[in-house]
Amino acid sequence: MILTRVVIVATHPVLERMIRSAAVAAGLDPVESAVIEDLRSMIVEPTIVVVDADAPDGSSLHPLHLLRESGHDVRSIVLCDRVDGRRALEALRLGASAIVRKQNDLRELEEVLVQVAGGERVLPPELERTLVDELGRLARQAREWSSVGSAITRREREILVLLAEGFTTQQVGRRLGISPRTVETHVAKLYRKLAVSTRLQALARAASLGIIRLDA
Amino acid sequence: MQEGTDPPARRRGRWGVVIVEPLAVVRAGLAALIGLQDDLEPLAQAGGGEEALAAIAKVRRTRVVVLIGLGLEGPEDAPWLIREVRERYPALAVLAMGADADPTAISRALFVGADGFVDKSAEPAEFLDALRRAGSRETVLAGTGLEVVGMIADGLERRRDIELMLTRREREVLAIAAEGLTAREIAVRLNVRERTVTTHLSRIYAKLGVGGRLAAVRLAARSGLVSVSTPE
Repeated sequence: MILTRVVIVATHPVLERMIRSAAVAAGLDPVESAVIEDLRSMIVEPTIVVVDADAPDGSSLHPLHLLRESGHDVRSIVLCDRVDGRRALEALRLGASAIVRKQNDLRELEEVLVQVAGGERVLPPELERTLVDELGRLARQAREWSSVGSAITRREREILVLLAEGFTTQQVGRRLGISPRTVETHVAKLYRKLAVSTRLQALARAASLGIIRLDA
Repeated sequence: MQEGTDPPARRRGRWGVVIVEPLAVVRAGLAALIGLQDDLEPLAQAGGGEEALAAIAKVRRTRVVVLIGLGLEGPEDAPWLIREVRERYPALAVLAMGADADPTAISRALFVGADGFVDKSAEPAEFLDALRRAGSRETVLAGTGLEVVGMIADGLERRRDIELMLTRREREVLAIAAEGLTAREIAVRLNVRERTVTTHLSRIYAKLGVGGRLAAVRLAARSGLVSVSTPE
């Protein structure tokens, strides 16, 4: 029988050791991968990738993106300090099989590994409410965006993105090769479409609709 | 039911439920189950979209959950009704209900304005709890595993993107094309020239980046824009 390989993406040595011993206890074959760039070369199916989503370099869920692009059928377990709905939903959409909170559930990691190796999905029960709320938020956003967003032109969206990055009207004009006056005209139209009256409100509204991202 | 409680006072705190479901026996069963609860009350039942709107128009209270079966078909199907209720009565809660519904059907219901979805395979207690929570306008997902959450989210974004890409007329043409009508038949239905329809279709294919009608319809179905079939 082929042992399921466990690839560890953790930058903290203590955490790495814990994952390793849980994997050994679960009867799996642990190898570590400190560098995300090497991740793809370490995949031999069947593999479970354990990802530390709180890595200090801020890479967060980046390994899951890489895995999805690689096209391998790989299961993944996400470890994190605390889970908010947005990140949990993103992890699930990237195909995560399990989310494990380091504070509470690390003791259960061995069991989670066994379950995930058996094809199960493991989520903290309290996460359910948060995830479903997040889904509701996404639904409202999608609905509003499709009604408001379809009225916003590509040019207007470009301008919104630049304004969100902190550029002034003059700078936006220079970047797009149009006059500041034209930028102002676009902005006035945007205000009307977004039903707002100030630049800050426009950005907040566009962000809440998901047209631009302010947190990135 | 407790004896001796002042009925009007108790009724005030109750949630009224309007049951919209094409299958009469299911409707009756739900009404009976809901009627047994102290805090819930079946207000009206309807087997179709128009009938449901007529029933809702007569409702004179605010604490109401409209329970809509996704098995509702035809031009006044479940997504149509959900959208109508959401637009005409924004204060009412809407809970979609299905049987083994696929994630696309659920994301479609959420996109058009449902507060949540409950699967008919849920235990009665879970089903009733879903009604109560939908009533307080929580997002509800009951009777399905959490594994569908990611797929529902994908469906919502696909739908949003396709809505942004296509004009209202193009969406209309695509929906009719999904019924299997020829360009000529679509033209008759929309009262336009056949040439106009083929122009719309080729523009739709270009925007969606697909080679032809089958791929376009498949994409639209995956995003919940059109329903190719409603398994129930």
